[in-house]
Amino acid sequence: MEDKHIRTPILQTLRKSPFAKLQEHFKYVKTGTFALEEAVDHYLNKDYKTFKQYVEKIDKYEQKADWIKGNIRNHLPKFIFLPISKADFLSLLKELDGMLDSAKDVTVLMDMRNTEVPEDVKHEFHILIQKVMETVNAIGEVMDMFKIILETSFGGKIRQEIKKMIHEIHKLEHQSDVIEKKISKHLFNIKDIDPISVLHLLKIVERLGYIPDHAENASDKIRAMLAR
Amino acid sequence: MFFEFSFLLIFIIIIGFYMAWNIGANDLANSMASAVGAKAVTLHTAVILGGIMAFVGAVFVGSNVTETVKNGIVDPNAIKNSEFLLYGAIAALLGASFWITLATWKELPISTTHSIVGGMVGFGVVAGGVKVVNWFKLGSIALSWVISPILGAIIAYFIFKFILILILRRKKPLPAVKNIGPLLIALTALIVSSSIFFKTPAGNKLGFGIEYLILLTIIISVLSGVIGRIIIARYIHKFKSIKRKTEKEQYQIVEGIFKRLQLMTSCYIAFALGANDVANAVGPMATAFSVELTGSVGTEVEIPIYLLILGGIGIIIGMLTWGYKVIKTIGTKITELTNTRGFSIDFGAATSVLLASKAGMPVSTTHAVVGAVIGVGLARGLEAVDLRIIKKIVITWLVTVPIAALTTAGIFVVLCCVL
Repeated sequence: MEDKHIRTPILQTLRKSPFAKLQEHFKYVKTGTFALEEAVDHYLNKDYKTFKQYVEKIDKYEQKADWIKGNIRNHLPKFIFLPISKADFLSLLKELDGMLDSAKDVTVLMDMRNTEVPEDVKHEFHILIQKVMETVNAIGEVMDMFKIILETSFGGKIRQEIKKMIHEIHKLEHQSDVIEKKISKHLFNIKDIDPISVLHLLKIVERLGYIPDHAENASDKIRAMLAR
Repeated sequence: MFFEFSFLLIFIIIIGFYMAWNIGANDLANSMASAVGAKAVTLHTAVILGGIMAFVGAVFVGSNVTETVKNGIVDPNAIKNSEFLLYGAIAALLGASFWITLATWKELPISTTHSIVGGMVGFGVVAGGVKVVNWFKLGSIALSWVISPILGAIIAYFIFKFILILILRRKKPLPAVKNIGPLLIALTALIVSSSIFFKTPAGNKLGFGIEYLILLTIIISVLSGVIGRIIIARYIHKFKSIKRKTEKEQYQIVEGIFKRLQLMTSCYIAFALGANDVANAVGPMATAFSVELTGSVGTEVEIPIYLLILGGIGIIIGMLTWGYKVIKTIGTKITELTNTRGFSIDFGAATSVLLASKAGMPVSTTHAVVGAVIGVGLARGLEAVDLRIIKKIVITWLVTVPIAALTTAGIFVVLCCVL
């Protein structure tokens, strides 16, 4: 070992940044939730074999993200001083992780019972997925800007841009809420469909709606960090 | 008798040199860490530049603190036997060296300065009783140990906030850095040049009146600012081809400028370290030499310049041999430090140390750097700061003086019996 028997108090003062790890975690969240779009496409096309591959893929991403999440938590003991509230940081991590968790739940639910989506709901289903993906994209942009805002210690021009994006995320969340309700209503009004299918599809739609919910909460945590 | 004393002199040169070596190997290497970590200087540049600047600081500004360590803590007139002073100096150096070696091996964040002060106290108490030690002086030195990291933190905090508000958070950071950058350069030049010229042998040799010295430092400072502005403008000009720069690109250019400024502050910190820490090695040596050469020690003995040079050379050799390794380890592990942060840390720590040095207070450079790191952290500049280090430093700080004192006292008693 090279670093044996030397005094390095300055090295001991500067700890490894949890923000770098947060970005690493988010990379998995992003790729995992983006994979959901194609997975649902295959599901709607009744290509359950390819869909199954996606289920496994997303599950792997979720496990990796979970591992990093645990790692970040373990390396944030009391004596580590962050430029933001540690509670905010950890809830941000939790909400981002929740996005991928929900995406995984959707695929798991779909995998349990391959309920056919009725033809006239398919279009709305596509729109909902689109909205969810837009939200993921938006939070991704915020996370990219997050790297720069650390440089200016949460100030400057970029602050306004992040706030604008957060506003956008809130709008997207609301829009997906509306579509979600529309689909639910539609499902209840289909005449010749078995109740289990309705229940199953409702649950899937509900879980899909969780993704923008988590994204919205995550963006609120970032706003709290900026406000301090 | 002559032979015996010569032997003792050689012996004290060796331990004094070892002490200087230690300062170069550990303290200098540590203080250059932020510059290497922020990739402002390469390993080789850090070693060479750090060595040279520490040498310059030691030789030109060093004598102020040397006086304090030599005569401030223990009153030489109160010790009747002048041989005791000689033995005491040897014992203090040995005791401090021993403790530093042990602490380095155990990787404790102790300070070379604190050890030598402890050694002096231990010798004083054994040789002349409790009354010989100037407890008031010791108290004020101990107070400066608390104040210097805090001052380092405060200066680093404000200089970083200054950079944030006046450069990084501006709508147009590039024109801002063109104006503020030279100001920072001029400020550094002002502090360094005034520390060289005022109340130092170098300043006295110039033979100028105080008003001319003030004028000289102002001229140097303005000149460095002007040159700095030209260099910064040229650097920005290089990126002219990128018409609409993104935020990220703009910050990268600003960091690039601070990377160059950090070259200056890392010189500054090495300089301050040399000025402050050379006393640890040279102080006891000077006591021994004046006992040897004049037979007694007055309160007003000039520190021979060759001893300061000797200390400076010791620091350089320490940096070249072991400090190299320390910097390499630190430099590869500190990865998240950007140049604006590194600049603020170096500036805060160096200014704090230099101010203490000029006031004749021997402080710990390493602790001042740690203080500056925490200061930038409090300004929300760093992504993660480990506050446990404060506790560690306080604990070692509390034990260093008594342990070094006890070890020195023991060695002193043994020396008196043997010689």
